[in-house]
Amino acid sequence: MTVLSDENRAIIRSEWMRDDTGEWGAVTKPDLRAAVNAADDWVNGNAASFNGALPALAQSELTASQKAQLLVHVVHKRFIVGEV
Amino acid sequence: MATVYQEFSPGEAEFDSANIPQILSIKGTNYPVPGLAFDADGDEEAYFNFMASEYGSGNLTLELEWYADTATSGVVRWGGSIAAITPNTDSQDIETDALDTENTADDTHLGTVGQRVHKASVTISNLDSLAADDRVTLRIRREGSHGNDTMAGDAILTRARVSYSDS
Repeated sequence: MTVLSDENRAIIRSEWMRDDTGEWGAVTKPDLRAAVNAADDWVNGNAASFNGALPALAQSELTASQKAQLLVHVVHKRFIVGEV
Repeated sequence: MATVYQEFSPGEAEFDSANIPQILSIKGTNYPVPGLAFDADGDEEAYFNFMASEYGSGNLTLELEWYADTATSGVVRWGGSIAAITPNTDSQDIETDALDTENTADDTHLGTVGQRVHKASVTISNLDSLAADDRVTLRIRREGSHGNDTMAGDAILTRARVSYSDS
């Protein structure tokens, strides 16, 4: 696993800026991009830790893609219900 | 010697087939605020037409009244460019006419209040051989993709004005 490409990180920033309806305040576009980079770096650096937190059977039987989807679903649901 | 002013409101804008800013009429607390919301990414643009009545010589000054939708800091890069046609003289096909090279200016959010009104000024020195009474198409653009443009969120244009000397 590696970090996302520069292009994909730029796309995330654009989509995030478009989707977010809140106030940005003093945060500029370079600040937002730095946050995207940091989040992606964190995901990349903590993949093994996430995998290790899963039950043993899930660790061994689920594919990396399935585990990534699991994380997406959990984070997305937490965002939807306000558990952020 | 006098200065001639041409004013434009968001409702007068024309648009091409792409890169269109969002047309807004914000319901303010006490009165509506019309505007064109230029995205922070990409380069969105709006067009205005006017007759260069009493144009004498020299550059055009393009003043842009704008405010930030959600930000309190950062820089917005505005661009202005024109295409000028002299009726009865120029044989240029209006439907294939090109704009002269764009002039730009960076305007910094002044902070404190996000939706305070700013005024940016772009000196348009690329005049496309402008002459008195020409038909002029003005393009106003936010260069959101440019590295100098750092402000997050939309920049909302509420009014524009072009001025020039009559001598």
